[in-house]
Amino acid sequence: MVIASLVGAILIAAGTGGAAGSAGQSVPITPGRETPLQITVKTPQDLAFKTEVERQYLILNLMAGGRMAYEAGDFARAAYDWDLLLKVPSLSPEVARVVSPLLAEAQRQRGGAAAPVATGTPAAPAASQETPPAAAAQAAAPPRATTVSGSVNGGGAIGPGAAVLWLTRLDGPTPLPHRSRRPRVLNQASKAFVPHVLAVAVGETVAFRNDDPYFHNVFSLSPGQGFDTGLYSAGGVYNKTFTRPGPVELLCNIHASMVGYIYVVNSAYYTQPRANGAFVIRNVPPGSYELHAWHESAAAVVKQPVTVPASGASGVVVRIPGDRPPMVIVPDKYGKPRQTQLGY
Amino acid sequence: MTRSRSRYPRFTLLVVALAVGRASLGGQARADVMAAPPPAAPDLADPEPAEEVETEGFVLPSGTAVVPPLTLMGYVDFGFADAGGNGTSYPAGDNRVPADYGVDTFAPAVNSRGDVASIDSDGRVTNGFLPRSVNIGGRPSFLLNVVNQELRYQAPHVPVMAFVRLQVLPRWGGDGAGNVTPVYVDQAFGRVTLIEGRELFIAGGKFDSVFGIEYLDNSSVYRTGITPSLFARYTTGTALGTKAFYRQQIAPLWSALSLNVAATNGSNFVEALQPTDASLTGVPLVSARFGYELNLPSVQIKLGASGLRGPRNDQFDRRALLEMFGFDARLYVAGLSLSGEYVHVDEDEGAGGKQTGAGAYLIASEFYARGFWGQAAYALTLARASLRAITPYVRYERREAWFEGFRPITVARVTAGMRIDLWGSLILKGEFLFNQEVAGAPAVENNVLTTSVVYSW
Repeated sequence: MVIASLVGAILIAAGTGGAAGSAGQSVPITPGRETPLQITVKTPQDLAFKTEVERQYLILNLMAGGRMAYEAGDFARAAYDWDLLLKVPSLSPEVARVVSPLLAEAQRQRGGAAAPVATGTPAAPAASQETPPAAAAQAAAPPRATTVSGSVNGGGAIGPGAAVLWLTRLDGPTPLPHRSRRPRVLNQASKAFVPHVLAVAVGETVAFRNDDPYFHNVFSLSPGQGFDTGLYSAGGVYNKTFTRPGPVELLCNIHASMVGYIYVVNSAYYTQPRANGAFVIRNVPPGSYELHAWHESAAAVVKQPVTVPASGASGVVVRIPGDRPPMVIVPDKYGKPRQTQLGY
Repeated sequence: MTRSRSRYPRFTLLVVALAVGRASLGGQARADVMAAPPPAAPDLADPEPAEEVETEGFVLPSGTAVVPPLTLMGYVDFGFADAGGNGTSYPAGDNRVPADYGVDTFAPAVNSRGDVASIDSDGRVTNGFLPRSVNIGGRPSFLLNVVNQELRYQAPHVPVMAFVRLQVLPRWGGDGAGNVTPVYVDQAFGRVTLIEGRELFIAGGKFDSVFGIEYLDNSSVYRTGITPSLFARYTTGTALGTKAFYRQQIAPLWSALSLNVAATNGSNFVEALQPTDASLTGVPLVSARFGYELNLPSVQIKLGASGLRGPRNDQFDRRALLEMFGFDARLYVAGLSLSGEYVHVDEDEGAGGKQTGAGAYLIASEFYARGFWGQAAYALTLARASLRAITPYVRYERREAWFEGFRPITVARVTAGMRIDLWGSLILKGEFLFNQEVAGAPAVENNVLTTSVVYSW
């Protein structure tokens, strides 16, 4: 009965009426509400039945959930839901007909804002967010993703491998990156941050682990990224979630020679090159992009346009200017300069 | 974000499952997915992000140092100063002798080294207790205060460091002690860290004082303001010898204890008061500071107690002792820094004459000094590439000192100023010193306006 009501609801929402009957109108549509769907599967027919029920349930949730989000002014969420809805295989043309205009409007209202990504839920699919509104209704066949590759030159004594590269779309919103549910690990070993540079997605957690047999500390004075782990001993771990994009300079309040970096990226298309500077950014849909490169020896982020055809872009060369000198006077965690010859 | 998570958990799982083409899996399997905790978030169109298949961060190649083994640092300190009166603290018509026993000759300091505007030695008898002078008198003048060059070498594979600080001190004119332009070896020492991972080292050579805290910012780039305190003459000089430093972290309390001990040829009187690179008696002075520090995430408190004992610096007689002790405190919170120090100095009478940086003199009187300084500064940090920080500050200090047989002199000073940090390499400072002769010395016009431009590399 419950299932029949749900199916009826989606049919009503799609304007088809018909089999919805009276039951469909009596059930409140509550996207996200736990629905048991306890259907016994013993035969191929049972499986086919259950699969179709779940499919209808999915259509209901996406369709109605998007509508509720739309009415609540959450256009990013609405666009996200309806965009997924239009990718459901064998979707009724009538559903696409009524949803597409609203989807286009939601995408317009959303503007360049990225779709929300909540912890514990999948990241917004890259292909869905860069889909132009006009093509949304035909989104069942999104453009095939390709790669952007090339090399980084420069980088001074540290080398080109210390760069962090990412793309932002010039012809549409840039999707948010995938976030690992497990903390990314950054060790302190032999009085050094290992790795020296770590690119993480916005919202990801980094586990700072002390692999030395003595105390360490990690702090940052980078604007908007400040934190202080305090002291922790051998084997100790400190987790820190980075929610703001940009560079995070890592220092140790005990050992002034320790310097490392985290770069927090808010684009789905990012990578770190190999030590020789070679890089590949995968899963990039064709389009117009701006390639960004951050490096500790550059005073500013290097930017250059990149057009990605369906066959991908290769041979992209990024030059790191090396106009930022290495840190000579290292501050303590209060921002005061340290004189390492004094031992403090 | 929290709202989104609570509203859409279940159907999102379905979206994922269907979109990856597993909708036709067995029913029981699907039920397991529904009941299970949310899996690691996959991505419909980008199931495996590039960064996870490429690399997990950039690891420095073997042998690559973040900070080069050899670093050269330096700065030039250029200023403008205008001292009141004739640039000294000698009042007109005061014929007491020796002249430096009756006034505070260090009062009209004009730069980061405590050099005074003038020592006005014209016809007066002093007893060698003279600061270095820039010899501008009461004339508003530009000053090239110091050209400082430092070299630091950290051996790549052994815990050894070498440090040298050279200072060129252009001084022109002919008023006695201030008429030379030396290349001054302020520091030159080697350091060995004894135990890997321990904050324990020993050093040998010519190095900073270990007494008090003012030596920590004895350079233009480190000091908030321009001029040192009235007590810097006793505590910030460098000396030849050996020293050891140890710090023990107390992690659960966010605290640490430290001990700094030195045995040196001479005291930490500034070089104008002592011959610093040779012991006159052959008996070393011993000095030490015991410190406690609380390093909370946003609040720092540092407390210390210092002591020094040994032969008087200007004596060949090893029985004439110099004894000092002091206490210091610092508080830092959210850009506001408060610091202060109490200093107590006792010098025994010498048996014969004395040898100071200004020459040989006949009388080695007992000398005593007590007093304190306190400073408040607020650093307004600005997130701009050009204008980094603006720091107004004010310092108050009071000092009572006397040579045996002479009337104690009590002086006070209020220093107010502003520091502006630009581009990370340029510092502009300006301050005014209100000098007061409180008791024991005639009031004299000796206030100072001084400015400083420090460019570092």
